[in-house]
Amino acid sequence: MTVSAHNIVKHFGAFTALNDVSLEAQPGEFLALLGPSGSGKTTLLRIMAGLEFPDSGSIRFDGVDVSTRPTRERAVGFVFQHYALFRHMTVAENVGFGLTVKPRNERPTPARISARVDELLSLVQLGHLGDRYPSQLSGGQRQRVALARALAVNPNILLLDEPFGALDAKVRKDLRRWLREVHQTMKLTSVFVTHDQEEALDLADRVVVMNHGVIEQIDTPDAVYNRPASAFVCDFLGNANKLDCTIANGAVEIGGHRIENTAPPASDGLGVAFIRPHEFDVAAAGQPGVPVTLRRLTRTGPMAALDCLTETGALIEMTTIEPPTGLLPGAALTLVPRRVRAYSA
Amino acid sequence: MSRSVSTTEPRWMRWLLIGLALGFLVLNLALPLAAVFFEAFRKGWDAYVAGIVEPDAIAAMKLTLLVASIAVPLNIVFGISAAWAITKFEFRYKSLLITLIDLPFSVSPVVSGLVYVLVFGLQGWLGPWLQAHDWQIIFAVPGIVLATMFVTFPFVARELIPLMQEQGREDEEAAISLGAGGWQTFTRVTLPNIRWGLLYGVLLCNARAMGEFGAVSVVSGHIRGLTNTMPLHIEILYNEYNFVAAFAVATLLAGLALVTLAIKTLLEWRYRDQLHVSGH
Amino acid sequence: MVERSIMPGFGLTMGFTVFYLSVIVLIPLSAVFIKSAGMGFEAFAEVALSKRALYAYRLSFGAAAIAATINAVFGLIVAWVLVRYEFPGKRLVNALVDLPFALPTAVAGIALTALYAPNGWIGSLLAPYGIKVAFQPLGVVVALTFIGLPFVVRTVEPVLADLGPEVEEAAASLGAGRWQTFARVIWPAILPALATGFALAFARAVGEYGSVIFIAGNMPYKSEIAPLLIVMQLEQYNVPGATAIAVTMLLASFAMLFAINLLQGWSRRRMAA
Repeated sequence: MTVSAHNIVKHFGAFTALNDVSLEAQPGEFLALLGPSGSGKTTLLRIMAGLEFPDSGSIRFDGVDVSTRPTRERAVGFVFQHYALFRHMTVAENVGFGLTVKPRNERPTPARISARVDELLSLVQLGHLGDRYPSQLSGGQRQRVALARALAVNPNILLLDEPFGALDAKVRKDLRRWLREVHQTMKLTSVFVTHDQEEALDLADRVVVMNHGVIEQIDTPDAVYNRPASAFVCDFLGNANKLDCTIANGAVEIGGHRIENTAPPASDGLGVAFIRPHEFDVAAAGQPGVPVTLRRLTRTGPMAALDCLTETGALIEMTTIEPPTGLLPGAALTLVPRRVRAYSA
Repeated sequence: MSRSVSTTEPRWMRWLLIGLALGFLVLNLALPLAAVFFEAFRKGWDAYVAGIVEPDAIAAMKLTLLVASIAVPLNIVFGISAAWAITKFEFRYKSLLITLIDLPFSVSPVVSGLVYVLVFGLQGWLGPWLQAHDWQIIFAVPGIVLATMFVTFPFVARELIPLMQEQGREDEEAAISLGAGGWQTFTRVTLPNIRWGLLYGVLLCNARAMGEFGAVSVVSGHIRGLTNTMPLHIEILYNEYNFVAAFAVATLLAGLALVTLAIKTLLEWRYRDQLHVSGH
Repeated sequence: MVERSIMPGFGLTMGFTVFYLSVIVLIPLSAVFIKSAGMGFEAFAEVALSKRALYAYRLSFGAAAIAATINAVFGLIVAWVLVRYEFPGKRLVNALVDLPFALPTAVAGIALTALYAPNGWIGSLLAPYGIKVAFQPLGVVVALTFIGLPFVVRTVEPVLADLGPEVEEAAASLGAGRWQTFARVIWPAILPALATGFALAFARAVGEYGSVIFIAGNMPYKSEIAPLLIVMQLEQYNVPGATAIAVTMLLASFAMLFAINLLQGWSRRRMAA
C-alpha cells in the first residue's frame, strides 16, 4: 500500500512540530524518519497512525484520504517505543488482543485466533513463550512481542516508533538484521522513526531527514550520506569537520587556501565546508592544501587519528591508514581534502 | 538493605530511636485500640452481645451499610471518571480541577454537614420548596448520604490520578490502534492496570464512609432507629453512660478499621509497584 | 479548551466529573459564602467574633499547633525508624501508623476518653501528680495528636526513603560526622516534607470534631472547640450563627490549603534538584 502525507502542519501550543511536511512511501518500502529530538519525526508517525490529528494537511492510503478515519479503522500496525505491552495479559493474549476486540461478526473463532497467534509467535521466534507475562521477558523479546501483536491484525502499513531505542547495543544490532528479514518476507509498507543515523542508513530503503518540523532531504541511504542536500544533513549524518570557508568563482577557500578538485553547490560568498575525517590526505608542509600544526596523534589498530590545528585555530580531526613516519606533536603538515561539501553560510 | 558503618547511627542511638517510636505508637495508637476492646468486654460476653443485638444498634448498622453502599459506588464512578478525564487528556485549568476535587479534605466535617443544611434545610435555598413537596433531606437518610459523599468525595480520585498519570496513555493507544473501542479499551486494558490502586482507594473511601461522624451528626437529626448511623449510635449510648454498649458497637467499627488496614498492608506488600508511582 | 485526541470519552467523563463536583461540593460550599455575605457585618460579628467564639478559635488553633508539633517530632522519628532500621514487628508497626485514617473518629474519641479519664489506664497514673487530661484543654491536644500522626509519617517517609545512601556516603567520605551529615545533608532534604506533613496534620486538627468532643469536656471559654460551636448554633436553630463561624473556619482552611500547596511546591522542587 502507498502511504502519503500531504502538507501536514501541526502545532503544540506555540511550538511548531511539523511545518508543511509531505512525503510518500511506496508499496513494500521501508522508510526511515531520521532526525534529532524535537524534529517532528514521532509526531509525523503518530499522525500517520491516527494517534494524533494534524492542524491541516492530509494522510492518504493508496490515494484515499484517511485523515478523518479513526485509528481503529485505519488498520495500521503500530509498535510503541516502550512496547506498551499489556502487563496483565500473557504474551499470547497480547498478540491475540487485536483479533479478540473485533466486532462479533468479524471476530475469528477462538481456534483460528489461537492458530494465528502461534503463527506470529513462530515468525518472531517466540513460539515457546506464549504463556509468559511481559515482565518475564527480556527487552528484545518484548520488542518482538510488540511487533507480533501489531502484525496480528494484518495491517495495511507498519509504523515503528524508535523500535530499538530501549535496547542495548548488541541486541539492537541483532534485532535490526532480524527486522530487515521480517520486512523482506512480509513486503509490508513500513515507516520507522529513529534518531540513530547508523540504524536508518542500515535498515531503510529511503531515509527522510527531518529537522525543526521540516524535511531536509528524502533519499536513499547512499545519497543522503554522500550527497547531502543541506548543511544540516551533512552535519547530522556521520561526523564531519565543520570549517568556515569562502566560496569564490565556484571554488572553496579555507583560511585563504584554495582547495582544488571540489565543485561546491553553493553560490559565492561566505560558507561552511564539511570534510569527513577519512577524506583527507596528509602532505608535507608547503604543498597546496590547508596548512596545519599536529597536536596529537593516536593509533587505534590499523588506523591513526590526527588532531590538527589550522592557522586560524580551528580543530581538524582526520584519520588515515598510513601516517607519515616520525611525526611528533608540533610538526607542520598540509592536509589535502579529497572531497569538500560546501554550503552558503 | 544493610548500611555501612559510616551511614548509620551507633547501636545505642538506633535502639533509643526505635524505643521512642514504639513507645509513642503504643501510647498514642495501640492503647486506644486496646481500650476499645477492653471496655467492650468489661462486663463480660453477654453484656457485649446485648449491646450489639439491640434493635437500635441493628438499625444503625443497617443504615451505615445502606449509606456506604450508595456513597461509595457513586464516588467510585466519579473517581474513575475524573481520573480518566484528567490523565488521558490535556486541557486548561487541569490543576485547578485537581485542587477542587481535593477540597473536601480541607473542610471541617462539621462544615461539610452544615453546607447541606444551608441548601436543603428549612432556612436553606431549597428548603421551602422541599417542604411544599413534603420531601425531607436534612434530618433524614438522603442528607446522611449526601454528607457522607462529600467527606469521602476525593478518596478514589486522588488514588487513581497519580497512578494513571504515571501509567500514561500508551497502553490505551496500543489497544485503540489494534482496533479496540472505547469501552473495550477501558475494561480490558485500563481497568486491569488500575485494579489494585482502585481497590486501595475504595477501601479507604469505605472506611471513612462507615465511620464518618461530624458531618453526619449535623444532618442526621439523631432519631433512634431511623437516622442514627453506627458512630452516632455510639455517641448516644456513651452520653447515656451505657459505656459497655457504646464500646461494643465501637468494636465493630474498630474491627472494620483493622480489616481495612490488613487488606491495605497486604495490597502494599503484594502489589507495591502497581499502587504507587515511582519517584516523585 | 481540549486538544483533539484519539482517546474516547472526554465529553462523558469530564461532563460527569464537573457535574458531580458541582452538585456535591461546589454549590453546597458556595452556600456558606453566599448566605454569610447576605447577613451583614453586625450579625456576622455578633457570633463569629464573639468572646466565646474567639476562645474557641484559640483553643482549636492552639491545640492543633501543639499537636502538630508533637506529631512532627515523633512522626519524624517513626518515619526514620521505619525507613532506616530493621526490627521485629516492623510490618505491624507500619500498618498501625495508618490506624487514625481507618478508625472512626467517634471510636477514637471514646477510647481516648476512657484511657485518660481519672479512673482510666493512663488517667489513673497521672492523677496522683495532679495532672488532669480528660475534660481539659490538654485532652483536646491528646485527641488531635492521635489523628494527626499518619500525615507526618506518610509525607516524610517517601522522601527519606528516596534519599539514597550515596549522599550520606559522600558526606562521610568528605569527613562529616554522623551528626553533621544529618544536620547539613539529611535535614535540609526532608525539611520541606516535614513542613508539609506538619501543615497537613495541623489543617486536619483544626477542623476535627469527632475524636475531640468526648474528651474535651466542652466547657465554654475553656475546652470548647470551634466546630462544636457550629453544632451548638445549629442545635439552637441559629443557622446564620453557624454559618458565620463556618465561613471563618473555611477561610482559615483555604489559607492553609494555599500554604500547603506552596509547601508541596517547595518540597517538589527540592526533590527534583
